[in-house]
Amino acid sequence: MFTLLKLFQSFVRALHSDGTPRQVAAGVALGAALGLTPLMSLHNLLIVAAIFLLRVSVPGAILGWLVMLPVGFLLDPLFDAVGSALLIDTGGLQPVWTAIYNTPVLSLSKVNNTVVLGSVVGWVALAFPIYFLARAGVRAYRATLGPRIERSRVVRAVRATKLYNFYRLFQP
Amino acid sequence: MKRPKLFRWRAIVPLGVMIALMGLVWWLLLDRIVELGIEETGAYLVGARVDLERADVRLRDGTVALRGLQVTNPNAPMQNLFEAEEIVADVRWRPLLEQKVAVDTVAVRGMRFGTPRQESGELENPSPQSGMVAREVVAWAEAVRVPPFSLEGLGRVVDVAALDPDSLRTVGEARALAARAGAVRATWDQALAALDPQPHIDSARALVQRLEDTDVRGLDIIRATRLAGEVRQTLSDLGTLGEGVEVLSRTAQANLGDVQGGLGALVVARQADYAYARGLLELPSLDAPDLSPAIFGDAAVAWVEPVLYWLRLAEQYLPPGIDPRRYRGPDRPRRAGTTVEFPDAVSGPRFVLEFAELGLELAGEGMAAGAYLARVTGLTSDPALYGKPLEFVARRSDAAVGPSDVSVRALLNHVAAPVVDSLDVGLAGIELPSLDLDVLGARLVMGRGTTDLQLARTGDVLSARWSWHAPRATWERLAGPDGGDRGARAAQIGTREWAEELLWRTVSGLRDVRIEVGLSGAVQEPVLTVRSNVGQVVAGNLQRELGQEVERAERRARAQVDALVNDELGRARRSVNGLEAQYREEIEGALVALAAVREELEQEVERLGGRLPGGLRIP
Repeated sequence: MFTLLKLFQSFVRALHSDGTPRQVAAGVALGAALGLTPLMSLHNLLIVAAIFLLRVSVPGAILGWLVMLPVGFLLDPLFDAVGSALLIDTGGLQPVWTAIYNTPVLSLSKVNNTVVLGSVVGWVALAFPIYFLARAGVRAYRATLGPRIERSRVVRAVRATKLYNFYRLFQP
Repeated sequence: MKRPKLFRWRAIVPLGVMIALMGLVWWLLLDRIVELGIEETGAYLVGARVDLERADVRLRDGTVALRGLQVTNPNAPMQNLFEAEEIVADVRWRPLLEQKVAVDTVAVRGMRFGTPRQESGELENPSPQSGMVAREVVAWAEAVRVPPFSLEGLGRVVDVAALDPDSLRTVGEARALAARAGAVRATWDQALAALDPQPHIDSARALVQRLEDTDVRGLDIIRATRLAGEVRQTLSDLGTLGEGVEVLSRTAQANLGDVQGGLGALVVARQADYAYARGLLELPSLDAPDLSPAIFGDAAVAWVEPVLYWLRLAEQYLPPGIDPRRYRGPDRPRRAGTTVEFPDAVSGPRFVLEFAELGLELAGEGMAAGAYLARVTGLTSDPALYGKPLEFVARRSDAAVGPSDVSVRALLNHVAAPVVDSLDVGLAGIELPSLDLDVLGARLVMGRGTTDLQLARTGDVLSARWSWHAPRATWERLAGPDGGDRGARAAQIGTREWAEELLWRTVSGLRDVRIEVGLSGAVQEPVLTVRSNVGQVVAGNLQRELGQEVERAERRARAQVDALVNDELGRARRSVNGLEAQYREEIEGALVALAAVREELEQEVERLGGRLPGGLRIP
């Protein structure tokens, strides 16, 4: 229930943020990495840093994470297969993996695991489609449903709270 | 339209604070992380719970101290394989950035083997790979066939109904042989009927008779010509017929040889049936090489199991070469996947322990109880990268209890394939284990003695010899199945009690006990051999005193087999003999008769040669 509520909140925040559709879509695309790939990985620390430092929508990133989390679980067998194909079956790439595995810090990225590598590759492949889909979706929402919700009493009441001011710190 | 800025500079501080907080949490939880990591990795390797009381990581000093390590014996969850009070390791930190562990020195204090556990160390959901080596070794141990040694069949009357005629090879083969003989006979009959030699022989004899009775000088040219033609035709017919019978004879000889061979096979089958019937009686084998495995087989398997376990573990986790290695990925909510390691010739090994000094203590009053000092050098996950073999040396450090002389030396050279392992263990003056030998109804208390283990492995081929010598062994009688003393009952000759009494008398006076366990062949499934002077002495006495009973029981079994197979065997023999007689009478007889009549005819032709009118010649 809490997850669903958070999902809903993130969704509303992203769609109604002051950010441009591009910023929201970029946030969703970056957040998708957190959902599609195993969370406790070095690359996700970089993704989180990117979400913070780049002017992308943080609620959009949370939305992307929460939406893509179950998708990641569902696609794990596919990621495992992709990772196996790259790590084990493609002999030509072995020098690359050997170099990464034996390079300080880089070796902590755990890309020598089939699911981690497969999911990172999957996210890279899906990032741009996610971005474009999210951007089109936000534009369409803001042109139709968004203005009506913006004018609703509930939203106006929430905006009047101090909590909302703190939240604004992370707005694009 | 104003273009939004790319960076959110305001977020740097919160991000920094967040990363610092994460670092702080990691630092605070580092001990627990290391503890969990060791417990999980250990459980994966061993296949049973590994418990660590506390881990103390000191980043500044570069040391890791582990306290209260307990590794469960996967085959006995209420017992520890070993436990260590304290392990202090000097760890190099730079390799950690490459997910590698390089330990310069390790000091282990209070290491004890075989200690009891307070709670079961069995894993609830072990992964298929965890403890795989232990499971394989246990599977090998369970597959080792210890020959049965039962005396119960001695006093038992042979149960006639227990032997099903259809279960005997001889019966089936005899029936098949009789059928084959019948089929051969039918073929011969058919061939003989087609050739039908007798009328031709009779006709030729009549011709010979006529020639004998005829004055050829008195024949006119026409009758002489007709006679000459008749002789020629008969000789030609006899020749053709002779060839046909000759072919039939050759075929028949082959057929006869085949069915006679079948009779020979019946002899072999009967021997097999005797062995089968004897097996049903569960009579003991009285050969010494068979008795030793029957007496000490279970103990020998239990002794060599840990040796094989550690050998296989070394094989699995210290592989030669630098090929990529695959392991199951980490346990997590997401799929574990496969983690592939890519050793590099220029990089260091994933794990290396340069030097370790271990204070070992074998618990209890067992055979090797006491304190030891051991040194390990060059323990690494990548021997090819490390370039030096693993060496393990142990010696006695406290002589208050336990062995008087200890020498342990192991060298595991996995630098390149094939791996070459050698192990040499010599323990003198140790308390050897006591063995409950149910087959003898006695407990062997070996007392103080010596044990020597020599093991050599090259590639997959293993050769090991483990000898035990107890110069002052004693024996204790085991309680019988009903809890009473076995010897208390009056033993009737030929009964199980009698035989057990005999066994007790045999072994109870034996003081000098030697046992030798051998392993040879493929390391995955080595062949186990067991020899002992106990087996020889027991076999000798049994042969003397039990031999007659065994022979009697065997005779009963043989008689039972004979009774069941004799009818079929007789039928088969009669069929084959009949076939042989038919061959002699009909085929060989026809050949002889044909040859005789042809010879007579040729003699007549010879006699008449040149006397036919008109200069007629018979060929």
